[in-house]
Amino acid sequence: MNGRPPLLAARAAARRFGSQMALEPTDFELRDGEAVALVGPNGAGKSTLLALLAGALEPSAGRVERRDGARVGWAPQRAAQYARLSPRENLELFARLEAEEQPERSAERLLDEFELPRGVLAGDLSVGNRQRLNLAITLLGEPDALLLDEPTAALDPEQRRRLWARLEADHHAGTALLFVTQHAAEVEAHAGRVVALREGAVAFAGSVSEYDSLALAG
Amino acid sequence: MTRVALLLRKDALILRRSPLLLGLLLAYPLLIALLVGLVAGYANAKPRVALVDEDGLPRFVSIGGHLFDVDRTIRRVSKDVSLVRLGHDEAQRELRSGKVVAVLTVPPGFVATLKGMVSSPTLEVQTARGIISSRVDEQVQALVYGLNRQLQTAYIGSDLGYVRLIQHGGHGSFLGHEFTVLGLDGADLLLRGASGPQARKLRDFIGDAHLALARTGDALRATAHPIQIARVKGRGRTWALSADVQAYALGLTISLLALVLAAGSLAAERDENVVGRLARGLVTLGELVWAKVLLAAVVALALGLGVSLVFGAIIQIGNVTGGEPWGRVPLLAVGLLLAGAALGALGALLGAVARDARTASLVALLVVLPIVFLGLVPQEIVPAAGWISDGLPFIHGVRFFSAALYDASPWWRLLREALWLCGLGALFGLLARIETRRLLA
Repeated sequence: MNGRPPLLAARAAARRFGSQMALEPTDFELRDGEAVALVGPNGAGKSTLLALLAGALEPSAGRVERRDGARVGWAPQRAAQYARLSPRENLELFARLEAEEQPERSAERLLDEFELPRGVLAGDLSVGNRQRLNLAITLLGEPDALLLDEPTAALDPEQRRRLWARLEADHHAGTALLFVTQHAAEVEAHAGRVVALREGAVAFAGSVSEYDSLALAG
Repeated sequence: MTRVALLLRKDALILRRSPLLLGLLLAYPLLIALLVGLVAGYANAKPRVALVDEDGLPRFVSIGGHLFDVDRTIRRVSKDVSLVRLGHDEAQRELRSGKVVAVLTVPPGFVATLKGMVSSPTLEVQTARGIISSRVDEQVQALVYGLNRQLQTAYIGSDLGYVRLIQHGGHGSFLGHEFTVLGLDGADLLLRGASGPQARKLRDFIGDAHLALARTGDALRATAHPIQIARVKGRGRTWALSADVQAYALGLTISLLALVLAAGSLAAERDENVVGRLARGLVTLGELVWAKVLLAAVVALALGLGVSLVFGAIIQIGNVTGGEPWGRVPLLAVGLLLAGAALGALGALLGAVARDARTASLVALLVVLPIVFLGLVPQEIVPAAGWISDGLPFIHGVRFFSAALYDASPWWRLLREALWLCGLGALFGLLARIETRRLLA
């Protein structure tokens, strides 16, 4: 671990929706080059923690810190894109908003990489293609950290394999990964650390082997 | 390109890809403006008034030697109402059901009193309750005024008959009593053979009385009509092209458009699940609201100019005088932008509160009509409506358009309404910015 501050940190960050506490005060840090799996049952608060770290939600209590200059990509579980724009137009718009120097070229590259159809509107894409566009948008702006909420949920096995190959390449190049998954195999294959949430609170935080042994014992 | 401009361009592209929505957004407010115009045009329409004849009006009535054709006289004086003869019960039933707006009853003995020319007979009027009752009263008063004018002529003729008897002598009758009058002419003849100072004084009096009575006809007519109206024919705008109608049509059109567009497009950002993606540093929530305000302003400008160009062309082609069809267009453009922005800020607030596009559009539609109608209610009649309307952008837009297009010296009024629009736009924009945080949840 280097002496630099974490890329992202939650300091007693909590989130309430009306009367319901979605996330109890939680501490979490994501450092350079880490790959962290966020696991837990439905409604445990995984997506809420991810959205808080991404800056897409404001904490009801506590705070979220982002290192100065750190760029963060966020792929929410439900695709976040404009249905009445084509995949290319979506990519170009977000590339411009990310202040990419060559938005048209970036869009073209990601269209090829994710094999996204041209000439159709995003709203007319299949569920799988919509998720691929969602992920492609997340990769714009050369992020230092990727926050991915069940990124492979709607993908077929081949697309899943190709996505992980791309994410692994980014990870090896220094990009930190924090991903939510329901697949133990993905934790085993791609995470260096695991954080498990239950009922809005951290129930476990440790290495993959510790998590495996706990799972076997439990 | 700034981030706000990027969002604005994106919204314009999406709008262009929704031809049905775009068509409805353009056609719907114009249709509403037309319907409001037709309703307002009711001011020129003839309400239906029942005439209940309990006196058994004859076809002809002779008053002061004048023979009146009753039906023709009624038709002549009832230009502003559609008069229908009904029985008492039927008239009451139609008044209750709203088929007639008033019942005019001719009571028994009306014609006899009228022919007596000593006291004034009475017509009974019943009007429906409601917002138009005062207008019906005015129209019934106009009808009775018309009748009185017709009768005045007969009354004056009858009175002049008595004056002529005094002047020239002869036989006459009053209230059924026959009499013979010597007259000034007869008195003069009798005095011709007489001499002396008293006879001279009497002859002088007869001469003076002749001169004075010769002016009686003019004096009576002047007493009956102290002021007369002479209608001068000239060119002017028809009601449909009047300044107020144009200003209200513009206000209504852009109100509907800006409110629905801003509310729907802001809420649609949440429907598309992109608010979180934008808000994590790509675009601030303030910029998101600002983009919707600008969208409403730009579309209001485009549509408003289109509507005003159509008006201007009609005025130009029709060679209608009055107003400034082209010279004031730049001023109008400023008003359209300001009003569109203020209405867009209010729409953005509605969109943020409603949270999803369908609800936001419905809420905007439900809100816009009361806003418009509040602005149509004269403040002198319902002061509270005026105060509420002052707190909303519609009426300030209408006043701005009216001043920009037709006031000879519009600057003070334009400044005041521009300040109102800027203030309201800033207030609603700030509230929309605060409420937009709800879209993140």
